[in-house]
Amino acid sequence: MCVGFEAPNVTEMNDWIAIGALALVGLLIPLGMMAVSYLIRPSVPETSKRATYESGEVPTGGTRVRFNIQYYMVALLFLVFDIETVLLFPWAVVYLDALESDAVSLFEIMGPMVVFVAILLLGLGWAWRNGAVQWAQTPRQVEADRDRP
Amino acid sequence: MSAGTSLGFPAATPLQAGETVLLPERIGDLTGLGEFGLAGELFAAFIAAFIVANIMMAMTGVAGPWAKRKITAAFTDRIAVNHLGPGGIFIIVADAVRLLSKENIIPEHADRPAYDLAPIVIAGSALLGFAVIPMGSGIHLADPEVGLAFVFAVAGIASIGLVMAGYASGNKYSMLGGLRAVAQNIAYEIPLVVTGLSVVLFAGSLRMSEIVAVQNETVLFTIPGLEWAVPAWYALVNPFAFVLFLIANFAEVGRNPFDMPEAPAELIAGYQTEYSSVQFVLVYLGEFLHIFLGGAIIATIFLGGPAGPGPAELGIVWFLLKIWAVFFLTQWLRSAIPRVRIDHLIEIGWKGLLVLSFANLGLTAAIVWVIA
Repeated sequence: MCVGFEAPNVTEMNDWIAIGALALVGLLIPLGMMAVSYLIRPSVPETSKRATYESGEVPTGGTRVRFNIQYYMVALLFLVFDIETVLLFPWAVVYLDALESDAVSLFEIMGPMVVFVAILLLGLGWAWRNGAVQWAQTPRQVEADRDRP
Repeated sequence: MSAGTSLGFPAATPLQAGETVLLPERIGDLTGLGEFGLAGELFAAFIAAFIVANIMMAMTGVAGPWAKRKITAAFTDRIAVNHLGPGGIFIIVADAVRLLSKENIIPEHADRPAYDLAPIVIAGSALLGFAVIPMGSGIHLADPEVGLAFVFAVAGIASIGLVMAGYASGNKYSMLGGLRAVAQNIAYEIPLVVTGLSVVLFAGSLRMSEIVAVQNETVLFTIPGLEWAVPAWYALVNPFAFVLFLIANFAEVGRNPFDMPEAPAELIAGYQTEYSSVQFVLVYLGEFLHIFLGGAIIATIFLGGPAGPGPAELGIVWFLLKIWAVFFLTQWLRSAIPRVRIDHLIEIGWKGLLVLSFANLGLTAAIVWVIA
């Protein structure tokens, strides 16, 4: 099924110029909307209007609150796995070609990647066992953790 | 267009037969801009980008103020907007004017300029993703070799916008919403990309036009008695990957049942609590653009892109139908499924989907090996 059009006389253009153009348009559209809004919106400054919204109560304390350590744990885990997916990309692209050529054996194609993924999955298993991906603990688990030597 | 991927600006080379003609090239050809070298190329690219951006802005305009209300109302047995125009469709214009003419109230503890930049980052990154999506009928802005990697990378920029919005608003709800948004995005990013890679195993390329072409050139099976040849769309070849990708995508765009970052019952509106006027519009718009970008990725790598019965000129119609189908599904889930808890969300992501997505990758590799 033909999705594009065939016209061999058309001048070929650079992909990244077009992508850059869309990045520019993607910046200009929000800025244009902001400009239009600036022209038509009222401005009635009042100090109480600018108070932080806390369900209508008088806001208390700062915003730089302490938060769950798990946010940091999953971010660390993400770094490892994100780099892994980046390294999986080239393997996935050449996989089909490598299978169809006779020069490489199946073991050479699959072996390194299986080992690579297995090591990382082992790492995930270790993090899992140590509670890195567990968000909340039940009182019983907290108890058990305290008793652990 | 494999020859044009060198980093330098290529001289005017005639296109090889069989290559896809992209939108800037068609515009260059139709208007004669292709004759003016680099300046003409820049101008043609700008016009093409403007067209693509405006198609998606129009879709978002219909979806946000009108379709979303109508769909939710239908599910909950109400009528929703019906005063302005047929079916209340002119509420789009009224809402645009209303929202843009609101006073822009900047909270006193806002951390500027991050507070002002966040809406632009959220909306702009979503628009940029559409650069590599083949929309059919010749509307395809760019087709680089790294298409699929590009679209995942660009969609991921939104996380930065979300954490900027959450941190810079100076509000506790925004802060928690921003943190949750990032924790959720990074938990589901890996299953999303790994499941996307299983498609690459089949197609052997990251180029969007090739992924679409391979799906439509292969015949999966023919229905006996009828003249129908069912194309090998990856949703049919590997339904397991399709379901995984759908779930990870809903989490990635923060839709139900994974709308934790802005859970209204506990976090007001999450990272967008302190935004008003045009900045609120941009954040909201960015979210809808992301739903459509997710739909566009699903349509391209699982549903055969712009392909469908009828002539190839109808491509854009099929493409829009497919992304609207995904949008409809998000709204359906919004009405039908309760929100998951934050601890469940992280555990589903890391313990469930991640492991399943690697299992799927291995399974797909084995299937491709058997076929090849």
